[in-house]
Order: sequence, then structure tokens, then C-alpha cells
Amino acid sequence: MFNLSQPETFDVVIIGGGPAGTSAAIYTARADLRTLVVDKGLTAGALGITGLISNYPGVPGPISGSELVATMREQAESFGAQFLVDKVVGIDLNADPKMIQAGTGTFFAKTIILATGSMGRTASVPGERELLGHGVSYCATCDGAFFREKAVIVVGNNDEALEEALFLTKFASKITLIVPTPEIKASLGLIDQLSAHQNVEIRLATRLLRVEGSGHVEEVAIRSRTGQEESIPTSGVFVYLQGGKPITDYLMGQLETSNEGCLRVDREMQTSIPGIFAVGDLLCSHVKQAVIAASDGVIAAIAAEKSLRGHKMLQTDWH
Amino acid sequence: MALLQAKDQQYITDEFAKILVHPVKLVVFTQDTDCEYCQDTRQITEEVAALSPMVSLEVRDFNADKALAIQYGVDQVPATVILRGGDQPKDYGIHYYGVPAGYEFTSLIQDITMIGSGESGLSNATKQWAAALTKPVHLQVFVTPTCPYCPPAVVLAHKLAMESDLIRADMVEATEFPELAEKYDVMGVPRTVINDNFFIEGAVPEAALLKKLQSAIAN
Repeated sequence: MFNLSQPETFDVVIIGGGPAGTSAAIYTARADLRTLVVDKGLTAGALGITGLISNYPGVPGPISGSELVATMREQAESFGAQFLVDKVVGIDLNADPKMIQAGTGTFFAKTIILATGSMGRTASVPGERELLGHGVSYCATCDGAFFREKAVIVVGNNDEALEEALFLTKFASKITLIVPTPEIKASLGLIDQLSAHQNVEIRLATRLLRVEGSGHVEEVAIRSRTGQEESIPTSGVFVYLQGGKPITDYLMGQLETSNEGCLRVDREMQTSIPGIFAVGDLLCSHVKQAVIAASDGVIAAIAAEKSLRGHKMLQTDWH
Repeated sequence: MALLQAKDQQYITDEFAKILVHPVKLVVFTQDTDCEYCQDTRQITEEVAALSPMVSLEVRDFNADKALAIQYGVDQVPATVILRGGDQPKDYGIHYYGVPAGYEFTSLIQDITMIGSGESGLSNATKQWAAALTKPVHLQVFVTPTCPYCPPAVVLAHKLAMESDLIRADMVEATEFPELAEKYDVMGVPRTVINDNFFIEGAVPEAALLKKLQSAIAN
């Protein structure tokens, strides 16, 4: 699957298409920098799952988070930014040009803006860490083949969880989708596709309590909306829950993080590696709001342009 | 029908021309029966070898050329061994068991550029550890072709094999070798087996693998 989607090097590749990444894309694309935004989908990030917003400056609302992000994206696309729905699985920040490996292809960039937010988590359900690789997985495309004709559980409520569950329908004999919220926050098309499968059961407003098994996964304990605890026998648990930690796993240690997992930047959003910027919730700022993330994105965009075009001073755009 | 698209062929041709200073030799072991992916392995390695005069390919029959298989430490098929070729051939102990297809194709290309450049790219700390090794290390990295996180684990293991004659590293495609996958309890990839008894899940950064290796060797 070696797939060099576009061998030409982008001026800027932005990882994460929330308000930080997309605002950056508006500025870089408008400045005629060849811009690519790689993003997991409208429901992957904090803004995407926010219900109603009425305090975004300039947008009276109320407007849903995903609508607000979609509007920003259309604006960035109108200036020529390219958007790709994909997940970044690997990156080489020190290569020249910098290399980004997404699920569907490999890209090259002169500068990178990291805008992956803080919806990440570490294993927190009892049994999850202990049984990782022994039935607990975070990647259906990686591990689906080991669950041929077996019953599996998928935990999550967004596009990613549903796409992975769909992939598993090729292998598993039964899939139980455990959704922690009263509604699935994914696109309707995906929900319909998944529901159409005979061997898929969807449990809404249900929490994963424990993963159990001796040596490998044997069952899970869940608590449904009725408050009852239940056990479901299963061979695999694919977890796509979200949390509150900065998402930096794809960096594979190439940038230092604080004890809380946050990235450090200077006033121009530049990290310790020249040409690599970080913005938004990755920085664990004192105030986590979409408009703050957007402003970070713009500062990084202007700094990226400066680094590419060699301006001695920041040139602001008043018109 | 070619497996590689024209634009990818062009990219790899250009990369090889830019980077390869040492000749690289691929030795592929196959057999005519009971090997579902032998033909694919042959085709992929043929197409790659055709992209540079610095890359050569030798295809051997696992049964007829048993002595050579033993020399390279190959015990199942399909197997691809990547060597430095030319006047000063060198066997680094770098193997692929199973077809290097899907995401693992990128591992194959990266390994060829690594050996052809003569430089593993590992940190000084890791190189020093490898140089000071006194006991053998066998790394087996289990993968599936649709696992995007697997190539970094494979390439890291192969880099280590390049740095020390005491280190051997295999990519093992789990669905083609189910008995091996069961032996090492592989239900999630990548899973790296160190000297049969130590395990590491996932693609971890170099520093983390080094730490695990140090404790595995100490025990």
C-alpha cells in the first residue's frame, strides 16, 4: 500500500482540522502557501462534539460545534487549502523535507503545524492496560484478522469508532457497540451502514466498567442506562473512547512534553524543532476555548510563512 | 500486472538514485507448493530490484537450496533476506517472513535505502549499547499488512540488526504464520518478541525499545 499520494512537497501540512488547524489553514492558503490539513473527521475533536455555541465572536449562533468547524473549513478551502480525512500514524520531524505518514498515504512538508488537540486518553478501565495486545486493541485495521469468527466489543461514539466497527464486520461473528452517550455522535450515513449489519448490536448510554480475562480477554462488565451491571462474554475489545489529554502519541517522542503531556512553544508557536509549530489544546493553555485555539493557529500560520519566505519582521495583513 | 503504480515507481527510482552508495542484494526463498504468498513475494521483490542498478535479486528454492537457507538462518517461506551486495557482501541478519506487502512494502524500501546508504540512523546511545553487546539478541516483529503502526517497529528492529552482528531481526507476517503467532500469543500488532521470552506491544520510540532490551538482556 505504498502510496505517495502527492510527491510534491507541501509548504505547510497541518495535523488536526479543529479551530486551531483550520484557522491556520485559512491564513497559509490565503498567503498562497500550498496547504494540506489532515484530520480524522468532523466528530473527532472537542469542537466537533460540542452541542451549541453562542459565544464565538462574530458568530451569534446558536450553532453546533461541528457546523462551526465545517464553516471554518469551507473558508480555508475557498483559499485553496486541501483537506484529507485521515489519521496520522507516523511522522519524521527531523527529515528534510518533513515526512507525514497517514493511513492512506505519505506526504512531505517544509513546515508542519501540530493541532491535534487534547481528546486523548491513556488506558483507564480496569483490565484495559493489562490485556492490551491480548484482546484489547486500539486498531481494528491492525488486529481485526485475529478475531475471525469471534465476538468482539467496540467502545466509542464517534466516526472513528463506527468506521472501525464496520471494518470488523468482515471478520467478527458478532459486534456489540458500547456507546457511552445517549446518542451516537457520528455521521448518519455511518450509523445506517453499521445498523444494517445483522450481527451488530448497539447499546446506547452504556459504560465499560472492566475488561476481564486470564491471559487474554474473556468478558467485559458494562453498566447500562438502567443502572444494572452486566457481563458480556467476548474475545476482543476495541476501545475508541476520548479523554482530556494532549494527543501526541504519533510524535513517537520526537518532541519533549511536560509531565501532563503538553507541548512547549515560544511566542510564535514554534517548538524546539525549526519549522514545527504546535497550537491549540496541545499546549494545555490556561483557557481552552475555540477562539483561543484559532488565534494560536493564526500566529503559527504567520510564523510559518515568515520561516518559508524569510521575512525579517512579521508582516500583518490589514486588508 | 505491475503491483507498483507508475508514480510510486518513479519516486522510488529517484530515491534509490539519490541515496544508494552501496550495492544491496535481496535473496528470496520460495517453494512451488504450499506457499500462498511465494509468488507475490517474488513479484514485489522483482519490481523493486528493477528500479535501481544498485539493487540485485536472487530467487532460491527453499528445498533445493537448503544449505544456503541454513547459512542465512532462514527456516520458513516466503523469506526475504536483505544483504549488502557487491565485493564486500554482508549478512546483517535482516529477514522478512511473509510477503512484504501492504504497509510493510514501505519497510522494505526503507531497509534498502538504509543498507544502501551504509547508515542505520540510530542514536549514539543505541549504537554504543549495540557495540557493547556480548550476548545474541533475536527480535521477531509480528505484523499484519493492514497495520499502519507496524513499519516503524519493523524498521527499528532492522536498524538494530544492522548495527551488531549479534542482533538478528525478523518481520513475521502473523496471518501467514499462525502457528508462530499462537506460540507467542500474538493478538495485536505490532508485537515484538525479544529472545523468545520478552515482549513489547506497539511501535515504541527508539529510547523505549532500548530500555526494554537492556532489561531483557540483563535477565
